[in-house]
Amino acid sequence: MTSNLELPVFTNNSEAELGGKWGMVVDRDLCTGCQACVAACSMENNVPFVGETDMAYGRGMHWIRVERLWEGLEADYQEVKMTSYQPLMCQQCHNAPCEPVCPVYAAVHSMSEDINLQVYNRCVGTRYCANNCPYQARVFNWRDYTDYRPGNTADNDPSWSVLQNHLNPDVTVRRRGVMEKCTFCIQRIHKAEDTAKSEGRDVRDGEVVPACAQACPANAITFGRIDDPESMVSKAAETSRGSLLLEEMRTQPRVTYLAGGA
Amino acid sequence: MSKQLSRRDFLKLATAGAATSAVLTGCGPASRYVKREPYMKMPEYTYNGLSTYYATTCRECAAACGLVVRTMQGRAIKVEGNAENPVNLGKTCARGQATLQGLYNPDRVENPTQQGRGKGAASQMDWDAAIQVVAEALKNNDPSEIAFLMGTAPDHLFDLVSDLANAIGAPAPVRFGALSMFESRATLSRAAEELFGQSAMPYFDIANSDLVLSFGANFLETWISPVSFTREYAQMRRGKPRKRGYFVQFESRMSQTAAKADEWVPLRPGTEGLVALAIGKLVAEAKDTAVPASFEAIDPAEVARTADVKLETLEHIAQLVVDSEHPLAVPGGTAVGQTNGLATAESVLALNAQFGNYGMTGGVYISPLGPNQDEYHRPASPEEMLNLIWKMKDGKVKVLFIHGVNPVFELPSHLGFLDTLQYVPQVISFATFPDETAVASDYIFPDHHGLESWGYQRAVVSSQPVLSGAQPVISPFFNTRATADVLIAAAQQAGGQFAEALPFADEVAFIQSKLSPLVGDPDGSFLAPEINMFSAYFQQHGGWWKNDPALSAPIASGALTKKLDPGVAEFSGEGEFFFVPFVSPTIGEAGANKPWLQELPDPTTTVTWNTWVEMNPETAHELGIDNDDIVEVMSEAGSVQAAVYLYPAIRPDVIAMPFGQGHTAYGQFAAGRGANPVNILSIHFNAAGDLAFAGVKVNVKKTGRKHELARMEGKVGVYEFRKE
Repeated sequence: MTSNLELPVFTNNSEAELGGKWGMVVDRDLCTGCQACVAACSMENNVPFVGETDMAYGRGMHWIRVERLWEGLEADYQEVKMTSYQPLMCQQCHNAPCEPVCPVYAAVHSMSEDINLQVYNRCVGTRYCANNCPYQARVFNWRDYTDYRPGNTADNDPSWSVLQNHLNPDVTVRRRGVMEKCTFCIQRIHKAEDTAKSEGRDVRDGEVVPACAQACPANAITFGRIDDPESMVSKAAETSRGSLLLEEMRTQPRVTYLAGGA
Repeated sequence: MSKQLSRRDFLKLATAGAATSAVLTGCGPASRYVKREPYMKMPEYTYNGLSTYYATTCRECAAACGLVVRTMQGRAIKVEGNAENPVNLGKTCARGQATLQGLYNPDRVENPTQQGRGKGAASQMDWDAAIQVVAEALKNNDPSEIAFLMGTAPDHLFDLVSDLANAIGAPAPVRFGALSMFESRATLSRAAEELFGQSAMPYFDIANSDLVLSFGANFLETWISPVSFTREYAQMRRGKPRKRGYFVQFESRMSQTAAKADEWVPLRPGTEGLVALAIGKLVAEAKDTAVPASFEAIDPAEVARTADVKLETLEHIAQLVVDSEHPLAVPGGTAVGQTNGLATAESVLALNAQFGNYGMTGGVYISPLGPNQDEYHRPASPEEMLNLIWKMKDGKVKVLFIHGVNPVFELPSHLGFLDTLQYVPQVISFATFPDETAVASDYIFPDHHGLESWGYQRAVVSSQPVLSGAQPVISPFFNTRATADVLIAAAQQAGGQFAEALPFADEVAFIQSKLSPLVGDPDGSFLAPEINMFSAYFQQHGGWWKNDPALSAPIASGALTKKLDPGVAEFSGEGEFFFVPFVSPTIGEAGANKPWLQELPDPTTTVTWNTWVEMNPETAHELGIDNDDIVEVMSEAGSVQAAVYLYPAIRPDVIAMPFGQGHTAYGQFAAGRGANPVNILSIHFNAAGDLAFAGVKVNVKKTGRKHELARMEGKVGVYEFRKE
């Protein structure tokens, strides 16, 4: 029996659409690794904490993490250097390896914003997408973390739910078995687009600021339209210090990193 | 941004719905709070689905960063920076972001409590009874035997208690905080006094410097005002069109700040002052100028041997100084937390004099006082805390009021604060959380959380005088009451001189009395003709600040002629290793009860939720210790246990531990987690009365047990490497 279900067709090799819309520039020379972006992201996006045991299992839910690596370990301790901090979030690849492997179309591409969406209520938790992400940007809800703490849940300790008062009503609270990742604070993008639309204008450069960029004390993160050559983010990405992560994999990420050091 | 407001404008302002703040003036105390309302009955200034934003001040540390808090239906849901506040210009640190988890913490003290020092069951009281307890404590004791112990924030409460103490003849309130102890604030102001002739907080113009030599100052972590210093660091790096600023850090372990340095110079602890003087001499020689008297007696080659760095390194750094336009040297952290800390701080300030940068762009200035401040009040040094402890032991303190500080946890246990509490007949805590000190008190009369509070805070380091204003962004979540209101009510009840000392209707009336001198000041961020309008603007903009920088130049005359002899610091104990405690950059001194701060990876080690011991992999290999082995770190004062983290960027003769964990109380997220390194510090002060917290030697012993540290990074690969 043939199905007459119309399945969405996802193609992302159209040259016309290659321009993309939203993008980010991260200046590794300025990032001080202070974790303000991580805390801000978690508070904005209702990212739960998982506790010490699950953190040790590598189940932390951070949508953005600040990486650092060592150089010169083979030499004397005086020569050891830490590489510049590298805040890493979903790179919103134009050609995203996570998307084609999802059997239920939970990882889909938004053609209008050119970012990767995660549809929580489609996700069945195969975790294929996380397997296929070269940036390890995806995190999985191994438990109902919003209520979770061993032996102490909202069910048996009402005081526990007090902590949930800060949950952002603009962002879905995810449940167990669902994959999630950085959305470029899409709720803020949509809010700005709605405002601009109701005022009959385009979104201004700098009007959309994701939570990480908003908090960053060093102003290391710039966000905006990369299809607008005049925007701050396009200009910042142009410098000779710019590079894309794992560019050779042709994922066409939307985040440009500016080299640290001289 | 001076503005003159007409009455009509003011009314418009007062009804400007989703503006930056609600404007509520001239009302009674009850209506001075934002209400949490159900959907059906909303206050007129909120709309369904739209957020209301309130400007206030962060209270996670005393830096006075401005916040704008997003609220929805009366609940605070997101903390953002106040872009107008000159201290942080719209930015926040991780601890500021997580302040909501303090507000909504399930372990807050919800009611006034008869705590009974933790012996037997605690019982709840009502506020009338609580105020009566405070009133009687004020009235029935000799004023000289009343002691107030306060934290470094908020300033308005400190002003209120100072006025009260002054009026009734009680000793001035003592302020303390673990951060001020680790910042050696007393040493910094004393060094300024010795060299500039003025006790003040020096201001280091990092933003406009093109070469920063930091002697242990961890200004990107928790040091004094980390958000503003991080911004200045970014300007130093990329803010100038031509030249990227260069940054050298002298420190025995690579801290988060040192990780951002172009060069990390791991010198032997306690030799920082000598190295500063040696660089001064080398600079004078390289410039072919006369060597100033302060540096004359120094032999750079000898210093290099003592500090265990190469002479070429020092010569290279001196050359960097010669080649730069605006060199700057900053003293702080473990460099001044030594027995020779004062001489070290003076040496570094003298080095700045040699650079000729006093009062110059990218140089050293003196921080201005706050807008309503008459003189610089630095927090108490640990030696002054010891004086208070002795006074308690001698029975000269009959009642101790504690607010905003947790000395049982923050002071080294060897100082004996906890044991000394038994000599004080009555201990009254105003803690928001059931911390170690509150639990050991007779009563806990819980103050509101910072986001539920009125107040103001003065910026410690800012080029402009800044008074950051606080207002409640949410109505009190629990049955708590503002400590200022409790003291005012108790003073009224006690009558006589007490009532005269605090003749205010409530906390807001007191704050207005402190703001009134600023009304009509033409140089401020706004101008209002009378106090009610001033207060409204103060709430709306989140404070008041001068428009222009008010930095003053230090007098350099004596700095280069003073005989400076930092020598090498003395270390107590017979241990094999230098012990370096440092404040956890993410948790700070009081963040351990906020689960998201616990889950933030430490910037250098990526460890979460626990305490670790940093050890050079080579040293660990010699001792047969591996990652995650629990070791006992022993000093002459005691011992603590924690798991080892093999840290490649630390001297092999140094052991380091973060401060911030090891709580025995403070709620479910903090208690029983990790270890507190201050408990193995022996008590030695430097010449300014600050604790030589980095002046202890320790031994390390394997316990045979393991604890898998929950770290963000992978465990395979990097740390497998070991030199055989």
